[in-house]
Amino acid sequence: MSDELLVVRCRLGERDALAELVRVWHPRVWGYVRRMIGPAEADDVTQEVWLAVVRGLPGLRQPERFTPWLFTIARRAVTNRLRAEYARPEVATDAEAVSPDPADALVDRAELLAGLAALPAREREVLILFHLEDLPLETCAVICDVPVGTVKSRLSRARRLLREELNRKEGRP
Amino acid sequence: MNADELISRLSGPLSLRRRVLTVVALLGGLLGAAFVLLLWLTEPALPGRTQLAFGVLVLIGLGWAGYGGWVLSRRTPLFALDRVIAGWLALAATGLLAGLTVLVAVTRGGVHPVAYAVVVVLVVVAAGILVRARALRGALLRRKRELGG
Repeated sequence: MSDELLVVRCRLGERDALAELVRVWHPRVWGYVRRMIGPAEADDVTQEVWLAVVRGLPGLRQPERFTPWLFTIARRAVTNRLRAEYARPEVATDAEAVSPDPADALVDRAELLAGLAALPAREREVLILFHLEDLPLETCAVICDVPVGTVKSRLSRARRLLREELNRKEGRP
Repeated sequence: MNADELISRLSGPLSLRRRVLTVVALLGGLLGAAFVLLLWLTEPALPGRTQLAFGVLVLIGLGWAGYGGWVLSRRTPLFALDRVIAGWLALAATGLLAGLTVLVAVTRGGVHPVAYAVVVVLVVVAAGILVRARALRGALLRRKRELGG
């Protein structure tokens, strides 16, 4: 069943559709939240996200845009918890060298998971959304509320920081 | 926390009983406040204490209506079917208020013209809410069929 159909059925008030929607999307939301804020608060924040989703579903006018809408809510909850981290000024992303196509510069999934926690929040979120959640650049841009170019810059910078972090862990210069 | 645990935690805001009670609080408060106001307007010379009591009753009714409105807009989701039910409840409540207004008008020889206007506006608003809710539900049902559901 498509997400759009599930959302339409949820908006109609079908309880089983809502349960199905949660079963389909909960692992991804929980994974995103856990990787962003750590396991200690992941359950509470995920519940907060789903409460906001349930309250917002009746007003969701474009069911086909459910994915960015859901992750925007999740990001808002994460941002609230990481306010101090997001408040830090972003290092000049425009100056970062941008890969022509971010998909070409694939990051090894195991490497990514190993070094993710050490990255700043903005870089961490684009890596999670793009590489782990497999969301298109345009969707990542909508979720992060920035232009696509900024997402590309953050991805490039995130990959560089990730490599530096992994080299540091392995004791390489 | 797995999905099933999460679903059970969401059962509070999704409880039909809670949603219906919230709508009843809103409509009951509004209906009560409007009816007390109607009675108040038909009594030309009331002692100060009685006027105060009427005022307090109106405020209590408006307080319940405000609470219901806040919960419905901020805390409790109203899905398409719930909105249709709420629309019917609103129409029934305002219909009851219209009936009471006529009763008061007949037994006391008329009411203040503002009271008639307020009751008519409330009935029209309730009917409008019901029409919109049915139209939204109809559109969603059509979309569901288009998507193969």
